[in-house]
Amino acid sequence: MPREGARSGMNLNFLPAQYDATDAKPVNHSYLTEQFADYPAIFEKLAEVVRRGDYTLGRAVDEFEDAFAEAAGAKHAIGVGSGTDALFLSLKALGVGPGDEVITTPFTFYATVGAIVTAGARPVFVDVLDDFNIDPVGIEAAITSRTKALLPVHWSGKPCRMNAIRDIAGRHGLAIVEDACHAITATYKGRPAGTFGIAGCFSMHPLKNLNVWGDGGMVCTGSDEFAAKIRLMRNHGLSDRDTCQMFAYNSRLDTIQAVVGHHLLQKLDWISESRIRNAAYLDAGLGGIKGVTIPPRDGDEVRHVYHIYSLLFEARDELRAHLERRGIDAKVHYPTPMHLQPAAAAFGYRRGDFAMAEHISAYTLSLPVHEFVTREQPDTMITAVGEFYR
Amino acid sequence: MIAGVPFVALGRQFEAHEEHLVEIFRKVGRSGAYVMGPQVAEFEEAAAKAGGAGYAVALANGTDALILALRALGIGRGDEVITAPNSFIASAGAIAAVGATIRFADVNEDLNIDPEAVSRAITGRTRAIIPVHLTGRPARMTELNALAKARGLFVIEDAAQAIGAELEGRRVGGLGDIGCFSLHPLKNLHVYGDGGFVTTNDEGLAARIRLLRNHGLRDRDHCVEWSINSRLDTLQAAVATYKLALLDKWTRRFRSIAQAYRAGLQDCVEVPVDRDGEYAVYHNFVVLTDHRRELMAHLAALGIETKVHYPILLHLQEAARLLGYKSGDFPVAERTAQRMMSLPIYPELSSDEIEYVIDGIRSFYCKAAKAARG
Repeated sequence: MPREGARSGMNLNFLPAQYDATDAKPVNHSYLTEQFADYPAIFEKLAEVVRRGDYTLGRAVDEFEDAFAEAAGAKHAIGVGSGTDALFLSLKALGVGPGDEVITTPFTFYATVGAIVTAGARPVFVDVLDDFNIDPVGIEAAITSRTKALLPVHWSGKPCRMNAIRDIAGRHGLAIVEDACHAITATYKGRPAGTFGIAGCFSMHPLKNLNVWGDGGMVCTGSDEFAAKIRLMRNHGLSDRDTCQMFAYNSRLDTIQAVVGHHLLQKLDWISESRIRNAAYLDAGLGGIKGVTIPPRDGDEVRHVYHIYSLLFEARDELRAHLERRGIDAKVHYPTPMHLQPAAAAFGYRRGDFAMAEHISAYTLSLPVHEFVTREQPDTMITAVGEFYR
Repeated sequence: MIAGVPFVALGRQFEAHEEHLVEIFRKVGRSGAYVMGPQVAEFEEAAAKAGGAGYAVALANGTDALILALRALGIGRGDEVITAPNSFIASAGAIAAVGATIRFADVNEDLNIDPEAVSRAITGRTRAIIPVHLTGRPARMTELNALAKARGLFVIEDAAQAIGAELEGRRVGGLGDIGCFSLHPLKNLHVYGDGGFVTTNDEGLAARIRLLRNHGLRDRDHCVEWSINSRLDTLQAAVATYKLALLDKWTRRFRSIAQAYRAGLQDCVEVPVDRDGEYAVYHNFVVLTDHRRELMAHLAALGIETKVHYPILLHLQEAARLLGYKSGDFPVAERTAQRMMSLPIYPELSSDEIEYVIDGIRSFYCKAAKAARG
């Protein structure tokens, strides 16, 4: 039984790296105080819900779910406790459990794998391509008789090659659960991310493009039956107050968080467009610098919404230190791919098994791209990077 | 003139503390530290004390508290866990969630699990007992702990309804291996959404649950055990810390309302009493009557809302079909489920409202007495 965390005095109350607010830096990844500068407007709606005593599910959640479904281009959206739970509940709703395999990418956030393992299944990793997303060719080769589902991750808000992945899933009779936690309003050949599989899973964690004031998530689906099952499973399997259809979980989107999310949803187009514009500007300015590699953008095929703006940089760690000295908050998403995590020891993977994921992990660095990046800041970043490689 | 008494009136507490609560919302809202902000650790420190234990770990909800407690103790597939059949769904759901098998044991008339029935339910696969401190009344922890020790089992307290309750002067939550609490809006200590926490005196277990609630992350870039995400929102932690300072006052109010109900109703219905050494917190005030349906209808006509906690026992739920239980397996739980009803009880209930409820019940029995006399 892992007891690493048991060491005395260890502080485990930390934020995952990407949410670490480094307030001192002028060009920062964290922007929540700006984002909620208009908080009095949400405040009134919030106080109304609280005064009404309506804290669990209820009207505000229903309304937000409808609006979210529309924004995501899905038939149904079901509010859940977190993006992790969105993945976990979707897998459980498909009946994924012990003895099953789920194919996913080693280049993702921990939650993707955590959801698979918590459901009782085994993750089978397939390497990514140079755009950081899973390689469909590798998926086909990894399918076994135990494979139950494919779990592509639309990393950083760029959709995976969903037509190819759908073809494979169709040929092998496999379900697709999309990890669209980064990808609200992203599209692949005009179709919204999160609408290709049985389930599209979204996170509304504070630094997601669309976020709330705590943890929150959403499952999108086109299936009435699947939607009904997720609704049951997020609320103890209760079909009414006194009747339990199936033993399940408690994973509800808080009503007050639905109010916050709904408020922000009205700005979602602006958020996505600002990120896309900032990314294009940075691409243009950084693309010519020797030492910098911009991943393929596939501009005509996809709408990449840049939850994260990551490139590959030679001498990444030195560059990062240089940028920090220039007041630029550069982060690594993430330095260690999933198959090399301590928790993955039991899966039996080795360094070298997923060469592209390992390569990206070694060279990737993310620059602030969010909607509150100022007009001057992209030039500051471009200049600082140029200086480093000169 | 009172026109009725609602079963819950959550808005009253918010309004009574609106100024402070709004300030908390504003402060956390503007800080941007919505996940694992400093208020979470502050809450954990205060919650450990309230839970009568050395450590508390804040979580997303009370169900997750049970699930992560079971996981932290290494309980899963092939294991059996014993709990009460008359609890809320989550007590059993958490056992199923970790892949273990649910075994039920009957309760006593006070609605809490019967240690002798637990003893009979133990098999070679049993790993843990989850006594539920139902309605806020401590379960028979002395007997259960002795039994667990003798048979090598863990004891996980389901204290979701019982924050502040005591047995022999010791708070629930620190009486077994791990205590599980809920901060759901209907609980004595509640936040404005879902929330929960565990308490334990075992530093290693506390650290393990801290790992499990945050993706199994040892530090920012290293995952040592695949897990889920079950964090208490910073906002809710700040609310909970504020309210925790008021809890003892509120608990005394719950108990004085219970005392008023008891004094006013004991000759009409069976009322709950504290046994020696028990300090119950009356999350629900459950009376037993042979005329439940008629009495509830009579009270509803007076605008008094009552509820049944819970009308369908866990072993008779659709979800439990595969467990193979049937009606008649737990006679005490089944008999009390037919006869129980819960009266409105919350600190903001006024004396007039309490009197109105008592008068309402008494008028039913006078009418019934008159009818019986012909």
